[in-house]
Amino acid sequence: MAKQSSEVIDDKMLVPSFSRRLRPEVIGQRIALVAAVVGIWWLSSLSVPHYILPGPTRVWDALQLIVANGDLWNNLTITLWRVAIGFVLAALFGLPFGILLGANRRIGEFFEPVIPALNTVSSAIWAIFAIIWFGISNATTIFVVFMTAMPLIITNVWQGTRTVNADFIELAQVLRMPQWKVMTKIYLPTILPYFFSGARLAFGFGWRVSLVAETIGSSSGVGYRLRQSADLIRTDQVFAWTLTLVIMMAGIEMGMMKPLENYLFRWKKDAETE
Amino acid sequence: MNQIEITDPTRNDSKQTPPAIQLIDVDKSFANGNQTVQVLKNVNLTVPSQKIVGLIGTSGSGKSTLLNIISGILKPDHGQVCISGAASDKFNDWSSVSYMFQDDRLLPWRTAVGNVEFALEAGSMAKKERAQLALDALELVELESFEKAFPYQLSGGMRSRVALARSLVTEPRILLMDEPFSRLDAQTRGLMHQELLRIHQLKHMTVVFVTHDVAEAALLADQVAVMTPRPGTIHEIVDIKLALPRDITQPEVTSYMQRLRALI
Repeated sequence: MAKQSSEVIDDKMLVPSFSRRLRPEVIGQRIALVAAVVGIWWLSSLSVPHYILPGPTRVWDALQLIVANGDLWNNLTITLWRVAIGFVLAALFGLPFGILLGANRRIGEFFEPVIPALNTVSSAIWAIFAIIWFGISNATTIFVVFMTAMPLIITNVWQGTRTVNADFIELAQVLRMPQWKVMTKIYLPTILPYFFSGARLAFGFGWRVSLVAETIGSSSGVGYRLRQSADLIRTDQVFAWTLTLVIMMAGIEMGMMKPLENYLFRWKKDAETE
Repeated sequence: MNQIEITDPTRNDSKQTPPAIQLIDVDKSFANGNQTVQVLKNVNLTVPSQKIVGLIGTSGSGKSTLLNIISGILKPDHGQVCISGAASDKFNDWSSVSYMFQDDRLLPWRTAVGNVEFALEAGSMAKKERAQLALDALELVELESFEKAFPYQLSGGMRSRVALARSLVTEPRILLMDEPFSRLDAQTRGLMHQELLRIHQLKHMTVVFVTHDVAEAALLADQVAVMTPRPGTIHEIVDIKLALPRDITQPEVTSYMQRLRALI
């Protein structure tokens, strides 16, 4: 018999999927976009007082000031730390609870209305409750992040458990695989993409609501400094804080989340390259 | 009908190799609403060690159920199942029995070699040893250069080979196959048949495969058990006394196919 069957030779060889995000013309487009935004910003700032709309140079000076005196770093880390704690707690609670709701139909049906109910409560309401219960403390921000992120993670994990393929479970049964290995080797990898997209969403939401919580329930952190700058009508500093936030979130998203997702889910067919 | 001797499974004759599989008076019913449907009635089958046996029949003749009873996933209502001379419920070496499904059932998040390894992960074998055995199995199906490919990157035939490698990596003494190549195109199916026979020549495992294709049965099997439906039972056993490998154009093969078709 033929050593290599024709079907193998005819087959498309494995083409590594090149991302088109880093092509030179894309980089050029991005630079042009930033230049246009800064240009319009600068032109607009010429005709209004600086406390309404500070120009790019003024914001740049404010940014250098908060970098130089350590303000930026201190507040950024404390906010990030609060978001991370709230997020990790939400993940630790949401992952097993989501699996439980998915694995047991009766429990799932019983709790089904709770999730949309939690999702409809505004983060501002959680912030007010948090101040009543925890006062001005770290716990206030952590609680708000937790309450916002947790339902998102539960919903996604729950959805993921519904997609577990019964054929794979049967395969594991035929192999006499113990139940806990079925959990780690079949359930977990199936749920992981759902968990990941839920976690990403939750992290983004958590980060945004943390600022709301900090403006009303904290005496440190980026949210607190934002409100303080606004109270003092230091619009240039408000802009500087906002800018660093946008840059940092974009950095986390593109430098961490996206590569992590690409690596974890490299087994998925890439629709773009087909 | 002849050539099948029913030996007493309780008699322990150490000189002689026990049949790989022996079914005695197996009955199986399923509840369907408030009525029970008898799927298998009085099934007797002896599969000699190292032979290739085909189970053929129309849909509803209970051939897949029979395979699931042999594999131990289903328990018979009555009757006895013996694997390698031991009663099925006391048999404990299930890693020597492999099962290949109708579809390839490759885990999409694992590479080809990872999927093959999966079959070894029920036990406590060291990771390094597992990986080596999995590579060897991929080599056996001539896919070693695709070890790192994910299922979506492989063609149907290649995926089928990976599934075959997964069911061979445990070095099974018995390989059960439930219409394993029925979803492949005719040409690829033919290649998989050659592949299976080549590996059988090397490993001499006992093979039981379910099919509804008389050509597949006539080309591969030493023995074909013809099943008839409602209730499913073994109607006749046909010995195919032709050397392997066979070709579909051989007149003897064609006449066996006609005979099988008449019996179904």
